[in-house]
Amino acid sequence: MLVFFAKRLGYMALTMFAVSLLVYLLLEINVESVAVRVLGPYSNDEQRYLWLEAHGYFEPLWYRYLSWLGNFVMGDFGDSVRFKVPVADILWPRLWNTAILGFWTFAVMIPLSLVLGVLAGMKEGSRLDRAISVTSIATTSVPEFASAVFFAAILVFWFKLLPGTSGMADGFSFKELILPVLVLVVYDFGYVARMTRASMAEVMTAPYIRTAVLKGLPYHKVILKHALRNALIAPFTVIMLQLNWLLSGVIVVEFFFAYKGFGALLLEASLNNDGFLIEACAMVAVFVAVGSQTLADIGYTYLNPRIRFS
Amino acid sequence: MTDQREGKLHPYIPELKDQLDRGRIDRREFLRTATLLGLSATAAYAMAGQPLVSTARAATPKKGGNLRVSMRCQEMTDPATFDWTEKSNVARQIVEYLTITGPDNVTRPYLCERWEASDDLKTWTLHLRKGVTWSNGDAFNADDVAFNFTRWLDPNTGSSNIGLFASMVSETDTGQKDDSGKPIISKSMTEGAVEKVDDHTVRLNLNRAELALPENLYNYPTAIVHRRFSDEGGDLSRNPVGTGPFALKNFSVGERADLVRRDDYWGEAPYLDAITNLDHGDDAGAGLAALVSDQVDLVYETFVEQIDIVAKMPNLQLYEAVTAQTGVARMQMDVAPFDDVRVRTAVRLCQDHERLLELAYRGKGAPAQDHHVAPVHPEYAPMPTPKQDYARAKQLLAEAGYSDGIDLKIDCKKEPPWEVAVAQALAEMCKPAGIRVAINVMPNAQYWEIWDQTPFGFTAWTHRPLGVMVLNLGYRSGVPWNESHHENPEFDRVLDLAGAALDVDERRKHMAELQRILQEDAVIAQPLWRSVFAAGNKRVQDYTLHPTIYHQLNKVWMS
Repeated sequence: MLVFFAKRLGYMALTMFAVSLLVYLLLEINVESVAVRVLGPYSNDEQRYLWLEAHGYFEPLWYRYLSWLGNFVMGDFGDSVRFKVPVADILWPRLWNTAILGFWTFAVMIPLSLVLGVLAGMKEGSRLDRAISVTSIATTSVPEFASAVFFAAILVFWFKLLPGTSGMADGFSFKELILPVLVLVVYDFGYVARMTRASMAEVMTAPYIRTAVLKGLPYHKVILKHALRNALIAPFTVIMLQLNWLLSGVIVVEFFFAYKGFGALLLEASLNNDGFLIEACAMVAVFVAVGSQTLADIGYTYLNPRIRFS
Repeated sequence: MTDQREGKLHPYIPELKDQLDRGRIDRREFLRTATLLGLSATAAYAMAGQPLVSTARAATPKKGGNLRVSMRCQEMTDPATFDWTEKSNVARQIVEYLTITGPDNVTRPYLCERWEASDDLKTWTLHLRKGVTWSNGDAFNADDVAFNFTRWLDPNTGSSNIGLFASMVSETDTGQKDDSGKPIISKSMTEGAVEKVDDHTVRLNLNRAELALPENLYNYPTAIVHRRFSDEGGDLSRNPVGTGPFALKNFSVGERADLVRRDDYWGEAPYLDAITNLDHGDDAGAGLAALVSDQVDLVYETFVEQIDIVAKMPNLQLYEAVTAQTGVARMQMDVAPFDDVRVRTAVRLCQDHERLLELAYRGKGAPAQDHHVAPVHPEYAPMPTPKQDYARAKQLLAEAGYSDGIDLKIDCKKEPPWEVAVAQALAEMCKPAGIRVAINVMPNAQYWEIWDQTPFGFTAWTHRPLGVMVLNLGYRSGVPWNESHHENPEFDRVLDLAGAALDVDERRKHMAELQRILQEDAVIAQPLWRSVFAAGNKRVQDYTLHPTIYHQLNKVWMS
């Protein structure tokens, strides 16, 4: 177990290093644009030159990268040129907001998709299975930017039931959370439900289920005691992978509903070549990706007795 | 010296009044020029024969209330380097300007009580208002003004004001050469350009005549900060010292800016208790959604595609301002194939201006004439709108060696959508002449990175009160914003004459010449002038949309 963790940590550090170097080099292609960002499009060449000089941009590349890396490891993420505050000051609150959004999305999506998936998979080809499958495929194939417009048009502009933006200007508000969560759940539940259905359907054809049914166990006991645990192994992995999807999937939703989260921050940082902020966001993304995979692997071993740490 | 109290009447003012009486200029032009020349607004209005308070109010304004505005809350560290109106709109409530241009395009005194210009328009004397106090208790004085000018015109500050006040800037050869071997020329304030006469008088000594100095003093990066601004950290958002009616209570970049009324404001107190600016990002729909669901009372800007929705909502009102805002498809005259005037002219001749306005902006505005002087500019010289002429366009192309047509690529930004619509309509109109225009739509931030570098681009230009201001900024040889690389000594010469001409008729004669030259040089194909819009809840009273969407909220109240 310890070896496993150590390996994963090493793997994470290596990935972070590679990604950070790559991002740094990509941003390096157009250094002058940083000065244009800060001083505005109407500044003249002399002013830009003076700014770059004053902010150390004429030091050699390796020197600047290493000093950034050193500071990053020590917990200093640098200053954002877009927001003109330390990166950490905006990154953590935004990440926390996205965690809240993600929590509620998962809290609705996981039970919903598991129940629907299990119901559909219990009897493959039944009318219920068909209905659930068609709904899942339909909702998953509508992109978020379309469903966001659709739900906003109905619930905000037409019936005036819900607030149009989710900036939480007057503190946390459940009402403002409904639309973003709705859009994310509608987009994502179908996929997980389909995965659960496939897994459940497969389990239902296994010999031990047939045996259980033949020895006269009541149907609900067969499902709950024998089928469910085995059927949930595959969806568990899928759900853990949804964490990654969420980090990029929230960009559209956060932009549309003006939710102050990580996705909107990443978008703004990218559009404005905000180097240090992009680096920090990339590091968070790598951390979540490797972290969720590690969690998935650990959970998998507990759910599936055939796999044990060696 | 006793006569100085009233201010020396500029010798041109009686002549101006005469012109007004004989109907040679309209009232608005009289007011503008008279106030530009140092006559106080009250006196100017009196001379023009109308009381200052022109409209009777339907209801008595009520004190109190919080105005919630949907607007981007960007960083606002340093007012001198502002590049977005939104930044200045938050700061505008905290720090103030020497002059103020109203929604009616008339510039009036503000922190500057009155001003005088010498007959040659090269020396301007600014008389500062007495009794103005900073929020830290200090008295506002000439040192503040001198400090701001010196700071703006120092290249290390990085302020675009260095271009705005080019008549106070000198070029010096630093003796160094850059990587490509060009000598590095440094632009900085001319020695003695700002002169403190006494505690409340500042004299500006310009290199050349400047007519629009008061107008330039009300541009978004020209807010006056405290004389110790740099020493105290140089960050307005952390240390918001100002003379303005509101104080910054809470500021979070990208999220919100909360302002509360100051009780010790020097001027007439505003009605609002507080202003809450909420950032809803770059999505134009988000602001409107917030307005519809009553999360805000006012949105910064409403786009032409949205005005129907606003009209359908019974509790909302739409504001419209007629402006000199525009977009130009500009071609760099020193980059192939645009180095051939025949190619540029061919592109220009493909436009049907009225149709472009209809297609791209629902006809809300005015057709433009490819010379960047708007009908709302007082010195505009009326001329017919150029007609679409495919035969001549084809002939010019053939002469230039493109008898089989030509392939061009135009860069344009993604937002607002009308800009893409114009580019598309323009590209369609170019087809029959054999000009195949590919449109490269870019994210806004990326476009602003290359706006002055791309050979062929569609750039939005904001409203400016005078035509000479625009031409000086964008088309004089070698100025920083000259995105088309327009270079024509004759144009520069006439522009100098126009900038020195007080007589609006005389200036108009020069403008006719300038407009003709710019059309002939064909560095821009300019389809339209557009109106701008904003939307608000009906409980917002006495808000007038400024042509540049400057938030002047001192008279706004909530019912």
